[in-house]
Amino acid sequence: MKMPDRIQPPLFQFDTRIKTGVTSVRLKNGIPVFMLDAGTEEIMRIEFVFRAGSSKEYVPLLASSTNMMLTEGTENFSSEELNSVLDYYGIFLSLSAEKDSAGIIMYFLNKQIRKALELASEILFKPVFPDKEFSILMNKRIRWHLINREKVQNLAMDEFLESIFGSQHPYGRQVKEEDFRNLIPTVLRDFHSKFYTPENLGIIISGRIHEKTTELLNRYLGEIRTKKNYIEETLNHLQGKAQNHLRIEKNGALQAAIRIGSSTIKKTDPDYPGLKFLNTILGGYFGSRLMKNIREEKGFTYGIHSSVSSFRESGLLVISTDVGTEYVQDTIHEIYSEIRRLQNDAVKNDEIKVVRNFVSGELLRMFNGPFALAESFKAVWEFGLDFTYYDRLAEKVKTISQDEIIRLATTYYDIDKLYEVVAG
Amino acid sequence: MVNISSHRLGNGLKVLVHEDRSSPLVAMNILYKVGSRDEDPGRTGLAHLFEHLMFGGSLNIPEYDLPLQLAGGDNNAFTNNDITNYYITVPAKNIETGFWLESDRMFELDFSQKNLEIQKSVVIQEFKQRYLNQPYGDAMLNLRPLAYKLHPYRWATIGMDISHIQNVGLSEVKEFFFSHYAPNNAILSLTGNITPERGFNLAEKWFGPIPYRNIKDSVYTDEPEQISERILTIEKDVPSDALYKAWHTCSRGSEDFHALDVATDLLAAGESSRLYTNLVKKQNLFSEINAYLTSEADPGLLVLYGRLMKDIDIETADRAVNEIIDSLKNGSLDNREIEKVRNKFESSTVLANTSILNKAISISFYEMLGSADLINREVENYCTAGKSEIVNATRKYLTKENCSTLYYLSSRKNQG
Repeated sequence: MKMPDRIQPPLFQFDTRIKTGVTSVRLKNGIPVFMLDAGTEEIMRIEFVFRAGSSKEYVPLLASSTNMMLTEGTENFSSEELNSVLDYYGIFLSLSAEKDSAGIIMYFLNKQIRKALELASEILFKPVFPDKEFSILMNKRIRWHLINREKVQNLAMDEFLESIFGSQHPYGRQVKEEDFRNLIPTVLRDFHSKFYTPENLGIIISGRIHEKTTELLNRYLGEIRTKKNYIEETLNHLQGKAQNHLRIEKNGALQAAIRIGSSTIKKTDPDYPGLKFLNTILGGYFGSRLMKNIREEKGFTYGIHSSVSSFRESGLLVISTDVGTEYVQDTIHEIYSEIRRLQNDAVKNDEIKVVRNFVSGELLRMFNGPFALAESFKAVWEFGLDFTYYDRLAEKVKTISQDEIIRLATTYYDIDKLYEVVAG
Repeated sequence: MVNISSHRLGNGLKVLVHEDRSSPLVAMNILYKVGSRDEDPGRTGLAHLFEHLMFGGSLNIPEYDLPLQLAGGDNNAFTNNDITNYYITVPAKNIETGFWLESDRMFELDFSQKNLEIQKSVVIQEFKQRYLNQPYGDAMLNLRPLAYKLHPYRWATIGMDISHIQNVGLSEVKEFFFSHYAPNNAILSLTGNITPERGFNLAEKWFGPIPYRNIKDSVYTDEPEQISERILTIEKDVPSDALYKAWHTCSRGSEDFHALDVATDLLAAGESSRLYTNLVKKQNLFSEINAYLTSEADPGLLVLYGRLMKDIDIETADRAVNEIIDSLKNGSLDNREIEKVRNKFESSTVLANTSILNKAISISFYEMLGSADLINREVENYCTAGKSEIVNATRKYLTKENCSTLYYLSSRKNQG
């Protein structure tokens, strides 16, 4: 059989235009609903997003605990009944409490839509926070917490976030064992009544959307009204620590976790797409400079990554790796020299082309399939943005210049101001 | 319904295509029928180390990742006891780049001493990061050799010991490649925006000229039946005691598999499962408890693990687990509970089929088990497991004599 030419890559251009449509409606009580109709299977995903994340909490752990208690008993179902009914109908429910938002995500076969919405309404608006379940949950969480605090990754990341955001803000505040013991169900009920309201809710639906979705949403969720409005007070302040280098000792550790970074611009900033591009060059994909240097040339680590992400009140820039304890100093030195290289030397066009194509492929993957689509939508909607954000990102990917990369690296990676935490 | 077209090349490579035009991408999966069970007991971890070497460049292509990134693609791989599996997703127009890359590294790798040394170092860091530097990270490294005495499943994919990885030489690596990496020992599947015709033509063009190779038969002993209970106690610097139990079960292709999988879910899947509701919620013995089947080509294990609450005696916790299992063995089971598990399997199967990459990986895997079309029969297979099959499976496998138990104790006097 004839051997093909194996030297030349068979490479073509591909279309990176994102073709997506989102339909929005409002329920009778004003809850906004966003629908992304896509996919081949008779299955739907519904995400209920409340502005009830940890940034709203007035005592530690309040947001996550309120969220985790939603399925621990409601007016009409005990915790055990709820779990067995969800399982019986093959409805997958996951709880989620993040920095800015909290809620639930449900996956179910279209034929179970009525049951799913009936249960969602019960779980979101009628939880009762029973004492017994609460105490079981808190005792479990203490065990989980103690195990998590054994991992150098968590020791480093918790300290890192506290360093850059400060101990007075839920973005940074570290959880302590007594925080679990200090919470009581009454405070959770109070938090729930203030933040799990129709005014605070957005619903994102994706998959093969059932034709009666809007009608059924109105039936199960459209009549719910808030009893009294709560005026939020801002209690939490972001304030980085003065000391920006920190070491945490962990006896017997074979590896040390390194976290280097700072707070940064938010997703709404015009420089954000360019910063995402720069971050990809530095440590955002397998062929990145950090990965090539520290893993593929030196073998210090299994992996090294750099990421840029955004919360509502601040952006976050962090380089993360776990390395053999003997390689800590060399690794840190190499990280800073890779940053300096980006600030001082123009990135060659060949490398820009690789990152450009890789990120374009990533954009397609972010919109591949109905559920990825929903996540990409949520990631912009939460910031008051829409899908045009991705058009701006795609445009920046196409047009970014060598000079702009140098400007971004100099502006956003100021080595003297970066925080550096090592645990191990 | 996942429609699959199949074609076998002259050199033995099996090619399977499932067209899904709703995606702008194509997923490409290559399964090689080689895993850690094919390793020499003195060189454990080699199959997984080899997976890393597959990214170090091939005969005509100095770097694997770069051209794929230029094509907008992404990739990864995993190794387990039975297989080494590589996968790519790439914009549909550029799928030929995937064929070019994958066929060249099947044709011949660029074996370099430098790459071998670097990847040994990376894998040793992986060993530390995932197994040695995590609380309870070495539990399976202790449980496997307790349950298996002769079969190669007694070691984990990462290897028995770091020294095995350190000592691997370039000639062993070359020999491993030519005796296991071959078109006739692989399954290629393609899903997404590609027609079967285009998939088969590209496969003929790029993989067709690769020669058939003789595969080295792996010689190892079947695990003898376990006839008495085994208990191992270890003490480590962890915050709580943990319980691990393993029973020998059947192979993934066995007729008992689905009934046993349903039983495992009844016992331990999710917050409505028997172990969770009784031992976490009612009796407060554990902070978490889970179980799963290892689903391997040779007879695998049912592994159960739980972390204990403070001040709970591990033998008390162990007895409580056995009582829950005994009640299932005694036939306490109604249809609603069976239906519940079946419904969950149905939902999770449909959910898995929403991803072209999941479908590509599954199609190769089911083909290895005997037929790619099993992907469409899984839900039905779970539905044929009724009460008597489920109860009989638990009676047959979940016996005391067939069980290995690891008491993973905290060495701290005060457990926080």
